[in-house]
Amino acid sequence: MANRRTSETALTNASLAAGPKWTYTHRGYALAQSFRQLRQRKFASFITLMVFGISLALPAIILFSAGSLAKLGNHNIEQESLTVYLSMQVNDLDGASLAQQLLLREGIDRTSYVSRDEALAMFKEQSDIGDALAALGNNPLPGAIIVYPDVDMLGAVGLKQLANSLAMSPSIDRVQFDFRWVKRLQAVLSLARLVGWVLAGFLTLSALLVIGNTIRLELLRKQTELDVSRLLGAKRSFLVRPLVYTGALYGFLGGLVACVIALITISWIKTPADQLSGLYQSAFQLEMPTASQCFTVLLIATCLGVLGSIVSLARPSNHLLPFGTKPV
Amino acid sequence: MIRFENVSLEYTPGRFALHDVSFSQPAGAFTFLTGHSGAGKSSLLKLIARLEKPTAGFISIDTIDYDTLKPRHEPLLRQQMGIVFQDNQLLNDRSVFDNVALPLIIGGYRYNDIKKRVAAALERVGLASKAFELPIRLSGGEQQRVGIARAVVAKPKVLLADEPTGNLDAQISAEIMQLLMQFSASGVTVLVATHDQGLLETFDFPQLTLHGGKLVDIHNSSQATAHTQNTWQEQPSSQPAARESRIKRRQTSSRHGE
Repeated sequence: MANRRTSETALTNASLAAGPKWTYTHRGYALAQSFRQLRQRKFASFITLMVFGISLALPAIILFSAGSLAKLGNHNIEQESLTVYLSMQVNDLDGASLAQQLLLREGIDRTSYVSRDEALAMFKEQSDIGDALAALGNNPLPGAIIVYPDVDMLGAVGLKQLANSLAMSPSIDRVQFDFRWVKRLQAVLSLARLVGWVLAGFLTLSALLVIGNTIRLELLRKQTELDVSRLLGAKRSFLVRPLVYTGALYGFLGGLVACVIALITISWIKTPADQLSGLYQSAFQLEMPTASQCFTVLLIATCLGVLGSIVSLARPSNHLLPFGTKPV
Repeated sequence: MIRFENVSLEYTPGRFALHDVSFSQPAGAFTFLTGHSGAGKSSLLKLIARLEKPTAGFISIDTIDYDTLKPRHEPLLRQQMGIVFQDNQLLNDRSVFDNVALPLIIGGYRYNDIKKRVAAALERVGLASKAFELPIRLSGGEQQRVGIARAVVAKPKVLLADEPTGNLDAQISAEIMQLLMQFSASGVTVLVATHDQGLLETFDFPQLTLHGGKLVDIHNSSQATAHTQNTWQEQPSSQPAARESRIKRRQTSSRHGE
C-alpha cells in the first residue's frame, strides 16, 4: 500500500515537471528554445541586440524624419514669393488691377499689391535710413506686386518660367527672386536624402549579416541538440524552426532597441533643430515618430531577422542535412 | 523482423565496414551484437537506423523495405525506433522530463499524452522522482536510464543500444540490462551492441558476432529452442534470380558513385 502511494507520488511529480502546455507543440517548442537561447546567453545576446539596434537606428531616424524633411523642401519654396516691381508710371489703380489680372494666369495662387506709399512706410519701419528718404522730397519706391506661386508650379524650373513670363509685361520693371537659393536648397536636400538612404541601406545590410552570423554560430552551438533530434526522427522543419524564430526574436528586440535609440536621438535634436528653423523664419519642425512609424520599424526589423536566419540556414550544414549526405 | 540480405557498407573503396552480412532477427527478440572495436557493430546499428545507406544488399524491418524508402520518410522510420547511446546524448540544459519528452514532441503527441507517457517511462526506469533534475546532476547509471526512458517513451518497435553499459560498473550495467530485458519481454525487438564479455556471459541471449565487418558467428542462447521467437537464422546464400539481379545492379551503381 505504501509502495503504491510512493509510486503514485513519483508519477505526479514527474507530471508536474512538465513545462507550460504551449512549449510541447512544434511551434511552441521552437519559440521556447529561442527564448531559452536569449536567457542562457544573456551577455552575447545583449551585444548582438545592441549591434543590430545601433545598425538599424540611423535608418530608423531617417525613416522617422523623412516626412519632416520632405515638408522642409516644399515648405520653403511654398513660403517664397516673387516680388514684381512695377514701372514708376504705373499708378495704384493700375497696379491693383494688374495684380487681379495676374491671378488669372496659370501657376499663380494669390497676389498682393503693395502701393508706393505702403512700400515707403514699410521701408521706413524696417530700415535705419528710412528718414533719409524724406529728404528726397518725393517717393522713389515703385509699386510692387507680391506673387505667391501655385503649389503645382513648385520647383526652381517652374518658378523661373513664371518669372520670365512676368518680366515680359511692359508695366513690369523687374522680377526678383533668388533662384540659386532654391536650387541649392533642393540640391542639398536631395543629396542628403540620397546619402541617408545609401547609409541606411549599408547599415541594414550589416544588420542582416549580424543576424546571419549569429544564427550560424547558434547552429554550431546547438549541434548536439540538432544531431540528437535528427536521431529521434526530427524533420528539417523541426530543426530549423527554432533558429528562424531566434532570428525573428533578435530582429524584433533589435528593432525595439533601434526605436528607443531613434526616439532619444530625435528628442535630443528636436529643440536645437526647431530653434535653427526659427532663425530662418521657417515653419519647419522635427516631428516625433508616430506609433505606426515605430510599428513599421519593428516589422521591418523582424523581417530582417527572419531573412538573415533563412539566408544563413540556406548554406548546407552537416547538422541539418539527412544522414549519409555531405554538404556540397 | 529485421532482415539483412548480403549487406555491405564501404566507406572508401576497398575498405568495408560491413561485408556481405545476411541475417534475420525475429520480432520481439533480445540479441547481442558482439565483436571487437572496429568489427562493424556500430555500422550495423547505423544501417538499421538508416543513419548510413548500404553500398550493396537489402535491409528491411517488418514490412518496410529500406531500398524503396524515400528520404522524406526516413525521419518517420526513426520515430519508430529507440536508440540508446554509450554517452547518453542527453541535453544538459533542460530537465530529465523534457529530455524524455523530446521524441514525443517531435512525433507531435498531445500535451496530456506527453505528460502521461513521460511519467510512465520515468517510473519504469525508476526516475520519476528525478523528473525536475538536470541530467548533469545525475549519476552515470541514472543518466543512462534517462537515455533508455527517452528511447522507449514513444513505444518503439525496435530498440537499438550501442554499448549502453560502456561507461558503467558491473552492478549498474546489470540494472541497465534488466531494464532492456523488460522492454524485450513487452514485445520490443532489442539489439544491444557490446564487447563486454562479462555481460555476454552473465546474460544468455543470442549473439551475432562480427569480425572485420563480416558476420562470423550466430550463437543462439540455451533457451532459444524453448522460445522460438528468439531463434536467429542466417539468411540462405542462394537468392531468387530477380533479387540477385537487383543486388548486382545496386553494386554496379554504387561503384559508379550513384
